[in-house]
Amino acid sequence: MKATIGLEIHVHLLTDSKLFCSCRTSLMGKEPNENTCPICLGFPGSKPKANKRAIDHGIVLAKALSCSLVPEIRFSRKNYFYPDMPKNFQITQYEVPLAMNGYVMLGNRKIRIRRVHLEEDPAKLIHVGGDITTARYNHIDYNRAGIPLVEIVTEPDLEDTKEARLFLEKLSVILDHLGVYDPTTEGAIRVDANVSIDGGQRVEVKNITGFRNVEKALNYEVVRQKSMANMGIDVSRETRHFDAESGTTSSLRKKETEDDYGYIIEPDLVKIKLHSEWVDKLTESMPELPDHRIERFIEQYSIGRFQAGIIVNTGLQLSLFYEECCNLYKDPKIVVNWIVTYLLKSLNYERLNIKESKVKPETFVELLKLIDEGVISERTAKELIKEYTVSGESPRKIVKEKNLSLMSEDELHKVVSEVIEENPKAVNDYQSGHVKAAEYLIGQVLRKTRARAAVDTVRKLITDMMESKPR
Amino acid sequence: MTTIEKAHLINEKYKAFNFIAEALEGGEGLLSGVAVSVKDNVCVNGMQSTAGSKILEGYIPPFDATVVAKCRAEGAGILGKTTQDEFGFGTFNVNTGYGVPLNPHDPERSTGGSSGGAAVVTAVADFPHLAIAESTGGSISCPASFCGVVGITPTYGRTSRWGLIDYANSLDKIGCMGKTVREAALLLTVISGPDKYDSTVLHEPTQDYTSYADGCAEGLKIGVPEEYFGEGVDTGVTEKVWTGIKTLESEGATVTEVSMPFTKHSLSSYYIIAMAEASTNLAKLCGLRYGLHMPLEGNFDEYFSEVRTLGFGEEAKRRIILGTFTRMAGYRDAYYLKALKVRTKVIEDFKRAFKHVDVLAAPTMPVVAPKFSEIAELEPIQHYMMDILTVAPNLAGVPMISVPCGEHLGMPVGLHLMTDHLEEGKLVKAASAVEGAR
Repeated sequence: MKATIGLEIHVHLLTDSKLFCSCRTSLMGKEPNENTCPICLGFPGSKPKANKRAIDHGIVLAKALSCSLVPEIRFSRKNYFYPDMPKNFQITQYEVPLAMNGYVMLGNRKIRIRRVHLEEDPAKLIHVGGDITTARYNHIDYNRAGIPLVEIVTEPDLEDTKEARLFLEKLSVILDHLGVYDPTTEGAIRVDANVSIDGGQRVEVKNITGFRNVEKALNYEVVRQKSMANMGIDVSRETRHFDAESGTTSSLRKKETEDDYGYIIEPDLVKIKLHSEWVDKLTESMPELPDHRIERFIEQYSIGRFQAGIIVNTGLQLSLFYEECCNLYKDPKIVVNWIVTYLLKSLNYERLNIKESKVKPETFVELLKLIDEGVISERTAKELIKEYTVSGESPRKIVKEKNLSLMSEDELHKVVSEVIEENPKAVNDYQSGHVKAAEYLIGQVLRKTRARAAVDTVRKLITDMMESKPR
Repeated sequence: MTTIEKAHLINEKYKAFNFIAEALEGGEGLLSGVAVSVKDNVCVNGMQSTAGSKILEGYIPPFDATVVAKCRAEGAGILGKTTQDEFGFGTFNVNTGYGVPLNPHDPERSTGGSSGGAAVVTAVADFPHLAIAESTGGSISCPASFCGVVGITPTYGRTSRWGLIDYANSLDKIGCMGKTVREAALLLTVISGPDKYDSTVLHEPTQDYTSYADGCAEGLKIGVPEEYFGEGVDTGVTEKVWTGIKTLESEGATVTEVSMPFTKHSLSSYYIIAMAEASTNLAKLCGLRYGLHMPLEGNFDEYFSEVRTLGFGEEAKRRIILGTFTRMAGYRDAYYLKALKVRTKVIEDFKRAFKHVDVLAAPTMPVVAPKFSEIAELEPIQHYMMDILTVAPNLAGVPMISVPCGEHLGMPVGLHLMTDHLEEGKLVKAASAVEGAR
C-alpha cells in the first residue's frame, strides 16, 4: 500500500518585530502577555501595519523554492472562533498568496510546492490539568500572537515517512542558509500533515512541532491507516491531534466538508506591489543555497559528494565552520574527515550543535596540527576530541596539562622492551612466522603508553627488536 | 455655566452623549477654546468608547485616535462621546445600546444616524463646538441633513482611521460637523492628512480648507444626476434641493443634468460589503479581552455565545448573520465578490461624471427626519432603502457635504454635494455659496 503525504509547514520568520505591530518577536525572559500591544491584542480602534522585513524574507524564500511571485500581494481574513485568536480571525493570505508553483529537488525526485504565504501566529494555549481534549481550563499567552509565519504548502508528492523527513531536513537547511529563521527557537517549525493510503480518505494531523515528531506522527498515522485498510475498515476524513508524549494521534473532529472560513480581503491593509526593483535587489543579495554550496565544496576543496552533503545539510553553521577551518589548515580533505568522522559524532553524543558548542575553527585545527607536528598520536587526538567538544579548551593546552604528548624514543624503547619481556608467547608466535602476533604487541604498547606513541613508530621498534632478539 | 455643565443639560434634553468629560482641557492652536465632541466609535484615551454598543461597555482605550490627537495638538478640549447607532448600524439612531437621541427641531423625530449625537450637539451648542463624526454609508450626511447642520465626509483615506472602532473598514471615513461650512472646513483641515498608523490613509498633504469658503460658485460646473430624484424622494424635499441648486447657479455656477446608471445597484453592493466586513470586525468581541465580561462558565463556545447574545442589539445580530452568509463558500461568489465588482462600476460612474462636472448635487436624504412612530412601522429593508442617495458616493469613496438648503414640514432639508476624490476644496467652495445666499 502506498502512502500519499502532503505537508503544510509553518515557519517563524526571523524578524525584529511582529508582522503587524512593533512588538518584539524575541520572547526570552518575557512574562506571559507582557509582549503585547493594542494591535496584536486586536483592541477596538487599532489597525495592523505590514512589516516589510517579513515580506522580504517571504520573497527570498519563495525564490529559493523556485516559486513564481505574484505581482502584488493582499492579505485576507480567515474567520473562525478560537480562544488563541485575538480577533477571532487570522490575517493570512488567501486569494493572492505571496508565491505559487515551486519545487524542491530530493535527489531526482521533484517535490512540488503549491503555495507560499505569510500570516500571523495566534496566541499560545496552555492546557491546564490535561491535554487539549481533557484540560479543565486554558491559559492564553498572547506574547506569540502576531509573530510572522510563512506557510509552505506542498503538493501531495511525498510517498513515505522517510521522504517527508528528508524534505523537511532539506527545507530547514534552505531556511537556515537564507537566514530567515532561527532553528534553535522552540516551535520554530510546526507542521500539519495530510496523509492518505492508496487513494483513501485524507486525514489531517494538526500542529506537530519538530522534525522527530513529524516522523513519529507520520509513522503512526501510516501504520494506523494501513491496518484499518487491512481489516477492511474505511478510513474516514477527519482532523487528528498528535500527542508527542505517547507518539500517537487521536481524533479531534470528523470532517464532512472543507472548512469554511468565510474569507474576505483584509480591508485595513493595502495591496503591496512586488515591484521588480525590490525583488531584484533581494534576489541579487540572496545567500548561497545548499545545493550550490555542495557543488562548490566538491569543486573547491576536492572532497567527496557524500562528505560535502553531510557538512552542508547539517546546517549553515557547520558549513561556515568547515570553510573557516579550510582557511586555517592546509588540507581540506583531512578537515572534512575529522569533522564528519569524529567531531560530529562527539557533538551528537553530547547533544550539541556546532553553534551552541564551544568548538571554534582556530582550536579545532590546532588538534590537526598537533598530529602533523608529531606532538600527539592520531589515537590520542581521537580521544582528545571528546573532551575538547565539551570544554572548547585549546587542544595544545590540554595536551600539556594532561601530559598526552608522544613519549621520547628512550621512554618508548623501555616500554617496548617490557612488553616483549612480558609476552614471550606472542614473541615466539611472531618469530615462527605468525606476523599478526605483532599487532597484539603493538596494542599492548599503546595501552601501556595511553596512546602516547605513534603506531608506525611502535611497529618499527617492535619488529626491529624481535628480529634482533635471539630465539 | 461651564461648557461641561451645558453639555450635561444638552444630554438631559436630547440624550446626545454616551460620556461627558469631567473637565474641558485645551491649549493653543487652531482650535483653541473649542470644545470638540467625538462620536462614540472614535477612541479617546481614558474615555469609555463603546461605539454605542453594550458589548463594549467598560472599554477604555489606552490610546487616542489620530484625529483626536490632532485636535488636541491644535488646542481643542475633548468634550465627550456622542451617541450613535450601535457600531453605525442604522439610519435613524434608534439602534443603540444606551438610549435614543432626540431631534432638536422636534423631539418626536429622529436625529438621523448613525452620527446622531454629533448632529444634535452641533445644532444646539451655544459655545464654540465642533463635532468629529464618522460615515460608512451616509452616517454624517444623514444626521447633518435631519438636524440642519453642515456635515463633511472626506475622501476615503483623507483622514486616518487609527482609533476608529470599525464598522466596514473599506468604507469607514472619519469626518466632521459644524454649524457653518467654514467651521466644518476648519475641523477638516485639522484632522486630515497622512498617518503612519493607518496603511490605507492617503499621503497627499492636507490643505487649509477654510480658504475655499468664499461664498462664490463662479466657474463651478454642477451636475444633477437624474437617478437621485426618482421614486421615493419627497417632492417637498426635491423642491428645496432645487432651490439650493438654483442658488449655486445665481452665484455663478453652470448646471447640467448627468446620468449615473449604476446608482440603483449601489445599495445592494454597499450592504453586502459593509455587512461582510462588519461581521468579521465584530468577531473579536467575545468577552475575553475588553468590554462586556460575564462569569466564566461553560466552554469557550458557550461563553462567547452568551456574551454576544446579551451584548449585541438586534440590528448588530442581523448584520452578523447576513454578513457571514454573504461570505460563506457557495455564496461568496454570488454576493461578496460580485458586490466588489459592482463597487468598481459605481466608482466608474463617478469618475465618468467628474470628467464633465466639478460637483454633483442631489438631496441628502429622500425625506425630512421621520417621527419615531413612523420609524417603528418600517421593515429593516425600508430602513436600508433610506440610504439610497448616500451609499453610492460612500462606496466610491468620494467626498461629500450636506448643507442645509431650507425647510419642509418645519424640518431642515439637506443639499448633498459630491466631488471627485481629494477635491474637498471645491466641496467647501460650493457649499459656502449655498450657505451664504441663505
